[in-house]
Parts: sequence; structure tokens; C-alpha cells
Amino acid sequence: MDKTAAKEQLTAAATAHGEPAALVARRQAAFDHFAASRMPKMARFNFSDWDLFAKQPALTFTESTATPDLPEIKEEAIRLVQVGQTTVDVHLPKTWADQGVKLMDLFAALDQFPDLVADQLMAIVKPDENKLTAYHLAYLNSGVFLYVPKGVQVDQPVEVDLVQDSTVADREFNAHLLIVTEPGSSVSVLQHTTTLGTAANRASLMVEIDARRGSHVNFSSLDELGDQTLTYFKRRANIGRDAKVEWAVGLMNGGDTVGDMDSELTGEGGEGDSKLIAVTTGDQHVGINNRVTHHGQHTTGNINQRGVLLGKSHLVFNGIGEIIHGAHDANAEQQNRVLMMSPDCRGDANPILLIDENDVIAGHAASVGPVNPVQMNYLMSRGIPRPVAEHMVIRGFLSSVIAAIPAKRVREELIAILERKLTDGNL
Amino acid sequence: MATLEVKDLHVAVTDDETKKQKEILTGVNLEMHSGEIHAIMGPNGTGKSTLSQTIMGQPGYEVTQGDILLDGTSILDMPVDERARRGLFLAMQYPAEIQGVTNAEFLRAAINARRAKDDQISVMDFIKKLDKNLKLLDMSESMTERYLNEGFSGGEKKRNEILQLLMIEPTFAILDEIDSGLDIDALKVVAKGVNSMRGDNFGSLIITHYQRLLNYIVPDTVHVMMGGRIVKTGGPDLAKQLEKEGYAGLRDELGLDIKLVDDEN
Repeated sequence: MDKTAAKEQLTAAATAHGEPAALVARRQAAFDHFAASRMPKMARFNFSDWDLFAKQPALTFTESTATPDLPEIKEEAIRLVQVGQTTVDVHLPKTWADQGVKLMDLFAALDQFPDLVADQLMAIVKPDENKLTAYHLAYLNSGVFLYVPKGVQVDQPVEVDLVQDSTVADREFNAHLLIVTEPGSSVSVLQHTTTLGTAANRASLMVEIDARRGSHVNFSSLDELGDQTLTYFKRRANIGRDAKVEWAVGLMNGGDTVGDMDSELTGEGGEGDSKLIAVTTGDQHVGINNRVTHHGQHTTGNINQRGVLLGKSHLVFNGIGEIIHGAHDANAEQQNRVLMMSPDCRGDANPILLIDENDVIAGHAASVGPVNPVQMNYLMSRGIPRPVAEHMVIRGFLSSVIAAIPAKRVREELIAILERKLTDGNL
Repeated sequence: MATLEVKDLHVAVTDDETKKQKEILTGVNLEMHSGEIHAIMGPNGTGKSTLSQTIMGQPGYEVTQGDILLDGTSILDMPVDERARRGLFLAMQYPAEIQGVTNAEFLRAAINARRAKDDQISVMDFIKKLDKNLKLLDMSESMTERYLNEGFSGGEKKRNEILQLLMIEPTFAILDEIDSGLDIDALKVVAKGVNSMRGDNFGSLIITHYQRLLNYIVPDTVHVMMGGRIVKTGGPDLAKQLEKEGYAGLRDELGLDIKLVDDEN
């Protein structure tokens, strides 16, 4: 990489994009860190040779002309759709806007509400954590901002559709969803990530949630990026005093994916519930760290990860429950389970407990293996053919996470994708 | 009329630890037709469950000699799901628990597995049939939305097996010690379910230790198994005779040289 040229390009592109000087400076600092630091590591999963950034990276903003089929929405629905770097639809009913709820393009938000956004962007995930977080801020080219003011209970799910534009090659997709929920508010977010087109491209996707005192965020994500997309994602919530964040992630990406789920229980009495399912097919490689860190006293953390492996795929689940010294009466539970549906796949489920306090409760369960033959035999003894029985057992195995997604439509969509993968996935 | 025939059936199982094969069934002969209820009685360890498991095609039972025929066709090479679709049903002693699969979903899949792709049961017909059978078995509607057998009590599991029987409507149902662990009220409910199936198109093979169940489901034929084969066949009175004299009495009457598992010496 020609560092001087890259930094000049970055500065010029950010300035031309009309960004405030402070952000340009943060991007430059992030670039320096990116250029100097090493790739992050993950237990039992090596992705050091993945091309998660270009040899000569460039910050680009391209107007997307591709248009996805947008489903009709009801008058009361809340939705934002982005294709590549272009926000194509924002639907926020007046009743919510009047109460101060904001749902908008991240750069527009930086422009219009700098006080709410500027200091908050990458304050929870720090750019200098590693090479990839630094890269993300330096080359960030799309994003969404969701803000829920104090005490507002948003009773409609907020749908965020992020469509990667891979109708042409060399389109970077560095997208950031920033969510801030003020004290006592609540919101449920349905993120859907998809890919339009079949060109081979990268994706660097982040979600930051700042769940302030007593707020409640239910975040589900249906990730359905294309077979040709190489993905790095990081999703982290800062969970304040008596706040609660529930994650339900259906990781159905077609391409290689490495990602982190983090719940930081910083306030007393906070609660984090992190559920994730993944189905891997073909020769896909997927590695996930799902971490809950207990800083505050009386905090509750729960991790439940379930994976199904087909073909020659490789899936690693690391569940990390960490209790920091001083987090008295913390409760950290986790389970990581994978089902191996073919003799050629490789799966790993690693519970990792890091406990530095005495009066805490911690538990873990892990399993790696084929579908339960006793269950299979029972279903088949009622005449159900093997493939149908297998799908039933697998759906049952994943059900605790699927059931946690609040929208029926999304659950059904997830099940449809699952069925498709189970049918074609051994190829 | 459908026919189930067991011919000179010898079955062995392999001990997991010693890897030694042990012959359990030593030549069972049995013929039954739809419209009939047969009971098999016998002391512990005589191979009654082995017979039912082998007919259904459960793994772990090796047929070393003889045959099992359904309407004249051997079913020995058929996997368990195919035997089920051809009309066999085994009510299990220990049904599996399956998290995340509701009872209703499972029942529909089982019914539809026996029907053509373009003739799947409609939701309305399914619900009607389900409601009727739930009522008959005195089961609460909430049972259908619970996960299959998960957290069910012993009695609930047994009732659920009978519910499946009523929903799937097999040609031949094998009930393997369906009475064990049931209180008298549950036993009556189970019997009511089975009796409701009685008719020209249904046959049942009831395996039991005790005569009590046969007071509620009166069989046409009673077989007594000892030492891995059927040693005597008779009418319902045979069960009553056994209840009085015990298996040892019958053994001695028949002059058989068989050691009963529960013999004291």
C-alpha cells in the first residue's frame, strides 16, 4: 500500500463529501492506526489471510442506480432502506418524529444533529481496537442513525434494510448502524442485510447500540449477504444501568463471514441476551465471537448460539462470558451448540468463561455432533421420511433463537431461507 | 382385509460391551388380520418388546432367520419410515422428546407423509380431527402447541402416543406395554382410544405383562410368549387363566424347560 497516496485520497474524498473537519481528522487518525496495526485474532478460527480490505484502499461514495424490490409498507410502519451508499426510502410516521425519534442517513444526521451523533459514532466500538475497526471508520461510506428520546416507547418495529450493491465489482460496503436509546425508552429494531448482484465484494458492517439507563432494545438481524460477499461484522451494545438489550441474529450469509457480538454490561442491574443462529453451506467459513462482559453489579448475561453445518463448511462459535472484578452477583450463562449434517464439515463450540469475582453465578453448555438419532428414529417411525424428519429436528434445534425474533414475517422469511439452505446446502 | 404374518422369526441383539450376539427370539410364528385384536403376554425378558421393535424395524435388532410379511410382502428390507407409511404403528414405551417441534406440526407431518403430495390434509380437516380426538382422550388443547413430548409426564406421553394412533389411523398398531406406569383413570382413557379404532380396517397387537389392560381392551386372541417364542394361543380366557396360575404354572403344564428371569432359584 502507498500510505501517503491512500491518506491523501482519504482526506480529499472525505472533504469533498462535505464532512466536518473533526470527522476528517478522526478518519485520518483511524487510517494511521489501520496502516500500522495487525489483524485481530479469534480463538480457533484463522482469517488472517482474508482480503477484508483492498491492497490500495480508497474512500468512495457512489450513487447506486440499482433498485431493489421494496415491499409495500403500512402507513404506521417505520422503515429505512439503503442501497449501497444511497438512502432510497425513509418512512417515519409523524407521530414518532413529533416525539423526537430520529431515523435517518448517518451522514445527514452528522450534518443536522452533530451534538447527538459526532461524539457517539464509534464511541462504543473504538477505532483503535484493531486494524479492522480502524479501517471501518477510515473508510466508512454509509450508515443509519436511530435515536429514541427519553421515555419514548416505540411500539412499531423499526425496519432497517441494508442492501449491498454488488451489481458491479469494487464497491466497498462499509456500513454503520448507530442506535442511541435515552433513559426509559424502548425500541425494537429489525435489520435485514442483503446483496443485490453477484460481483465479489467486501462488507464491513457495524452496529453500535448505546442503551442508556433503563432503556430496552430488542435488536434482530436477518443477515443474508450474497455468496460472493466477504464479511466482517461487529455489533456491540453498551448496556447501562437497568437497561436491557436482546439480540437475535439469523446469520444466513452465503459467503465467508467473521464477526463479533458484544454486550457490555456497564451499569448495575443491566441485562444482555445474545442469541445467534448460523447455517453454513458448501465450503463456507464462518467464525463468531459472542461475548458478554459484566462490569456492573447484579448484571445478567445470556448467550445462546446454535449452528447447523452442511457440505464442507466450517463454523466456529466462541461464547465468551467475562465477569470483571467488582461485578458482584453477576449471572453469566451460555450455550453453544452445533449440528453437523455432513461428514466433511468442521464445527467447533467453545465456551470461554473469564471470571474475576467470587459471588457470581456462571454456567455453560456446549455440544457438537450429528442430529440426535433417537429423535430421528421417532419421527421416522411415524412415517415421516428422513429428509423431512431432519428438517424438523433442525428447525426445532434452532427454534429458541427463531422464536426470539419479534416479527412473524421475519421469522417466516428466516425459516424459508433455512429450508432452502438445508435443501441445497450440501453442494 | 390386511394381513400381518410373522414366520419362524429369529432375532439376535449384540451386547454393546461384550460384542457377543445373543438370540432373543427363537422362532416366532404369528398371523393376524385387520379387524382383530391380539394380545401377547409373557414374563419379563422373554422377547415381547424385541418382537414389537423388530416388526417396526427399529435399529439394533438383527433378523437371523424367518420373515415378516405385510399383505404377503416381506418388509424386512424396508426402513422404519416406509413400514410406517405402509400401515404399521408402534406406540413406544419411551417416546423421544423433540424441542422446537410442536405436537400439532408433528402430527400433520405424519399424516401428510402417508398421503400424496397433491392430497395433503387441509388445515380445517386437520383441526377438526384433532379436536375430536383430543376430546376422546380427555386431553387439553394446549397439548398440541407444546413441544413434542418435552416436559410431558409419563401419563401424558402415553396419551400422546394414543393421540398419534388416532390421528394417523394405521392398519396395524403395536402397543408395547402402553399400560405400564398408568393409573386406572389414564388406563381407561387409553383403552377408550384404542377401542374407538376397532373396526374392519384396524388390527392391534397389544403387549402386556398384566391381564388388567385386557379387561378394558378385550382381545380376540391371546398369545403367551416364553423363551423367545409363542408357546400357547387361545381366547380371552387364557389371559384370565394366567392371572390365576402365573407363567410358571403354564410352563409346568406345558412341560417347557424354560428358566423365567424372575425365578427364585
